[in-house]
Amino acid sequence: MFETHARLAPGRLSDILKSAERAARRIPPAFPLAATVAVNPFLGQGDEDLATASARLARVAGISATQAASQYALALREGKITDEDLTAALAASPFKQKPADISALKAAATNPDTHSPIRPFPTVADLAAELTGTDWPSVIEKSVGLWAAGHFDQGQALWSPTPGMEAYDAWRAWAMHDLTPEIAGLSGFCAHVCAIPDTAERAILRASGALGLSEASAETVFHRLYMDLGGWSQHARWLLWQAELAGGSDQTLVGILAIRLIWEEALLAHVPGVADKWAQTVAAHGETLMPGAGHIALAILQDAMERAHQRHLANALGGLEGSTISAERPFLQAAFCIDVRSEVYRRALESVDPTIETIGFAGFFGLPLSHKAKGSDIADAHLPVLLSPAIETTSHCDTACEHEVRITARTVRAWGRFRQAAVSSFAFVEAAGPLYAAKLVSNALGLSGKATGTEPTPRPVAAMAADTKADMAATVLKAMSLHEGHGKIVLLLGHGGHVTNNPHESAYQCGACGGHTGEVSARLLAEILNEPETRAGLADRGISLPQDTLFVAGLHDTTSDEVTLFDQDAPTARAAELQKVRSWLQQAGRLARAERAPKLPRATEKTVAARAYNWAEVRPEWGLAGCAAFIAAPRNATSGRNLGGRAFLHSYDWQADQGFGVLELILTAPVVVASWISLQYYGSSIAPDVFGGGNKLIHNVVGGIGVIEGNGGRLRPGLPMQTVHDGERLVHEPLRLSVMIEAPREAIADVLARHPGVRSLFDNGWLHLFALKDGKLDARYHAGLCWSEMATERLAA
Amino acid sequence: MVSAFPLTLFSPVLLLLVSAIALSRPGIGPGGFPKWSEMVAFAALLLSAGGLVQFWLFGPNRIELLNGGMLLAMRADLVSITMAILVSFIGWVVMRYSRTYLDGEDQEGSFHGLMLSTLACVLVLVQAASMAMLLIASVAVGLTLKRLLLFYRHRPQAQRASIKFALVWHGGDLALLVSAIVFAIAFGTGDIAALADTATATGLGVIGNLGVAFLVLAAILKTAAFPLHGWLTEVMEAPTPVSALLHAGIINSGGVILITAAGLVQASPGSMAALVMIGGLTALFGAMVMLTQSAIKTSLAWSTISQMGFMLLQCGLGLWALALLHIVAHSLYKAHAFLSSGGAVSAVAALRRPGPVAVPSLAAVLRSFALALVLYGLIATTFTLFIGPKTAQALALGAILIFGVAYLVAQGLADLAPAELTRRTVAASAAAAIAYFSFQAAAHLAWGGALPKAPIPGPLEWALIVLAVLSFGIVAFAQALFPLWAHHPATAGLRVHLANGLYLNALLDRAIGGFQTTATKGNLGERHV
Repeated sequence: MFETHARLAPGRLSDILKSAERAARRIPPAFPLAATVAVNPFLGQGDEDLATASARLARVAGISATQAASQYALALREGKITDEDLTAALAASPFKQKPADISALKAAATNPDTHSPIRPFPTVADLAAELTGTDWPSVIEKSVGLWAAGHFDQGQALWSPTPGMEAYDAWRAWAMHDLTPEIAGLSGFCAHVCAIPDTAERAILRASGALGLSEASAETVFHRLYMDLGGWSQHARWLLWQAELAGGSDQTLVGILAIRLIWEEALLAHVPGVADKWAQTVAAHGETLMPGAGHIALAILQDAMERAHQRHLANALGGLEGSTISAERPFLQAAFCIDVRSEVYRRALESVDPTIETIGFAGFFGLPLSHKAKGSDIADAHLPVLLSPAIETTSHCDTACEHEVRITARTVRAWGRFRQAAVSSFAFVEAAGPLYAAKLVSNALGLSGKATGTEPTPRPVAAMAADTKADMAATVLKAMSLHEGHGKIVLLLGHGGHVTNNPHESAYQCGACGGHTGEVSARLLAEILNEPETRAGLADRGISLPQDTLFVAGLHDTTSDEVTLFDQDAPTARAAELQKVRSWLQQAGRLARAERAPKLPRATEKTVAARAYNWAEVRPEWGLAGCAAFIAAPRNATSGRNLGGRAFLHSYDWQADQGFGVLELILTAPVVVASWISLQYYGSSIAPDVFGGGNKLIHNVVGGIGVIEGNGGRLRPGLPMQTVHDGERLVHEPLRLSVMIEAPREAIADVLARHPGVRSLFDNGWLHLFALKDGKLDARYHAGLCWSEMATERLAA
Repeated sequence: MVSAFPLTLFSPVLLLLVSAIALSRPGIGPGGFPKWSEMVAFAALLLSAGGLVQFWLFGPNRIELLNGGMLLAMRADLVSITMAILVSFIGWVVMRYSRTYLDGEDQEGSFHGLMLSTLACVLVLVQAASMAMLLIASVAVGLTLKRLLLFYRHRPQAQRASIKFALVWHGGDLALLVSAIVFAIAFGTGDIAALADTATATGLGVIGNLGVAFLVLAAILKTAAFPLHGWLTEVMEAPTPVSALLHAGIINSGGVILITAAGLVQASPGSMAALVMIGGLTALFGAMVMLTQSAIKTSLAWSTISQMGFMLLQCGLGLWALALLHIVAHSLYKAHAFLSSGGAVSAVAALRRPGPVAVPSLAAVLRSFALALVLYGLIATTFTLFIGPKTAQALALGAILIFGVAYLVAQGLADLAPAELTRRTVAASAAAAIAYFSFQAAAHLAWGGALPKAPIPGPLEWALIVLAVLSFGIVAFAQALFPLWAHHPATAGLRVHLANGLYLNALLDRAIGGFQTTATKGNLGERHV
């Protein structure tokens, strides 16, 4: 489907397959939990606006792309959204059917019609369940779920299915033997499966014929079926994502659709009584997708809520008056990831001493690494998932030590198989069971998991030439706006969140590092920047780096707000300075914890850090919950202003950016990553059943790749309820990201014009864009590369 | 009068009191209550430990109410105190966990209340000394646990699971009731110790055998043995601490009933044989299904089914002390496994890091079995020299366990395994073998005196012993050769059938309407079409 289809007949057949491909591309990828990153759940809706996405998702998933109407009604009652916000949002909506005035808009927020639950268009399984009383959707969910759990298993089960088979072939081999559907009442299903076509494409075409799909109706019918399988479709979409990033393709997603269609085909034949209703449904799928008045009104209310937030932000930013750039050289410069959690800590650190300056930059520090950890044959990609790795690095120790580590790991693994295998599990329990009493006590008291030695310093597998290193160093320093005036010590701080017993551990790590901590990237960059041969080449490349500037890597633990420095190789002469830095970091940690503690359940400044080691803690920290803004500007535009840990802060000085190369990089990489994060939080908050990861209390880790709820069924990608909700209210306010960039409007528009994918995110309102001038909101971006003055907007208000 | 009232009996009373307070504040954020529920669980643990001290100082104890078939008796002997300590320890760990884990749940208060009352009922169950007391406690456990399983009552899956659980569990209660009535009619008492004495002295008779058969049936139903095991694979619909308590404290109550009535059960060779067969079958069946499960909690549930089957097998062989050891060891392991199941993602990721697994050839597997048997010979001889001869049943069980160890040895003997790995797996194997023989020796020392000795095997017992050793041996051998055949097309169907648990649960679903739509669903598609 994702390749050419030379062997298939042209015309209508290929139209069906094109519909299938369009539907497939509307599914967002779900990264496996071992190294998960936030994905925009509306990735497939990027070409349409919020109201149209609502209409589509209502049809295929029974959700709206906005919050529930009651949420807006509440915000209106509380005065969070003002009439000015409503007026502006209403004016901005391009739809003819939009409410006539703001009172009509307010009425929509309280209209019972917009409150009634939506149901997706039914599948044949839904219709058959209604008619026969047998819960076919649940039978399909469990049966396909059991197969998929085995097929995608990365090593949980000892007896996995035959590796290397295409999903479609593997399922056929499974379903020919699986008697569950027949026991549930679908007689002849195994025989039906035996007779299915030999390829997924042919199966899709045959089933589409049997189901009476037209070119017009096929796309949303297929999309509906993909959504029905939830995370399994998204996992398959991830396989395609990875394959395409590497220049190949993958057929799993095609197979998934074929599998679900074969069920529909069989059920329609089994329950012919649903034929009429099904024909009506297909006809409804064939109608052009148009947002209804309700969708439009809710999308406007969402926009109004975001404008309310932008109003507060505009006040908070207030310009450069009063802020001073110290002419003196800072003693300490600390570069943090742009992650919103850094904002709190940066503010705390800067408040500790006036000679401290902080910088915000993507946490992979611009190094596209493929890294093998100590004792590991597996290369992990430490970079944003939009990019492909370019540098191979390793933390392997010497041969003898590496051998020793592996032998230990393999002994542990052999012991694990001894525990898991059929007869030996009895011997295991009798020999080792009683010892678990000690483990229970140590885990219950939070004593386990603390002793972790430092990994060896990462290094490139192939030695890099001095010129390459100097080029790389200069590029990164320029991208960080660090041309001159470097401090005596420059900290490069990656981040990671220590959590215990949490399947979503990687969701707390650095998104720019592919769901790993930023440790490797920070350490490698510090090492390169400290090498004399790198520094020798910097002056030629426009960087004036003082002799005595020392780069030190570190890791900011976002759960405990403690910073570990990797300064083993630092000159001993600098020990006293580093000691001073350490004490500053400790003070900053206390301040940051004190700021965060009131928002965390059951926490005080003293107990925040212990959450990292509590095996029962489902809310170790709030992660990026609350994120709502992305600001690329010099730090003095934001320093000293409390942005509440809700803003991604990227240091950027446009005047030093010749040719606006750095601006282009910011708009196409960090902004896109931040938008994925913000929309993941958004989607998990507004549609927890479809885009959220479910309830952590009943999570059941499957195949090492994800979680299901309870005893089986759909894979649940996205953020768990506990990540965005404290039990009584949402902790993440679902807002689309407001991107604010201190740069000339023309330069910004120029970059957007060259990157249609990024531009469509802004044009369709998945992100808001503002130009800053001297630290103040200057202009708002509108679809079609247009700008409006903020001053007039304020006047109009 | 410290000796007059067993301390272990106070703990259920205390737990029930605090549970009542919790249930009066069922909602979210019940103030300091979660802390209290942990404290009271810890107090129960201290009381149980105090019971042990009391036992050392003053010997066994019991209290009674009513008499005859209605006798309500509780005991404080080494077996009941062991179980009380085990259950209250798990209870403390689980309540401490829940204190954080359940924070912010709508029904937070009632969760703590229900957990504490379930814990109290289990503590009564493990200390019951009469049929009526067993029955009351068992019914109460079923009722409170069902409410916990319905903690997320809007989930159709939870509704289905709880219905299935109640059906099987209370089916077991019914068997227990029949058994109690039969004993009351035949022997005029519900006192389990007295029944055992009578049975040993005068024999059971036809009616007595019938009573034991129902008792064994109750135990089989409550330990989720083949073929009505399905409910246990569905009950992870409740929060993780419920699963931990269920798998560590409740699922073994069938075993506790059997061990409590060991003298009685052993007087019925037919029932013992049934236990060996059903237990052995469940153990192998559950273990093989477990191999195919990719979801961690589901795989743990199948593991419990098989471990409980193994425990029933031990009971059927008359190895009562070892069955009790198995309950203790399994509970500790399984409670930890459930509570830490969130670590499965990183555990699986770690598996692939040190490179591929070395696959042993047929010759290596044969060598490993020979090596394991030699190891067994050495250790068994040593223990025999120091502790005295073992019964045929104990030797057979040792052989079964050593087959398991052979698997560990085999991994080290694979051609591609480095010598250092071979040395370490052999060392680990020896350590495992020595550990369990030591634990077994300790179990005999601790509980052997209080429990009946294994019967002298007759033809039936010998036949069963040989059958058990052979079938476990074959499965162990096949499993060691696993990578050589598991992905062969010929076994693809077998894997599908096993992954589905041989469809027994699906058949039960069909029988009880488990495939039907539940009340919360239905009327789909009305709005748009």
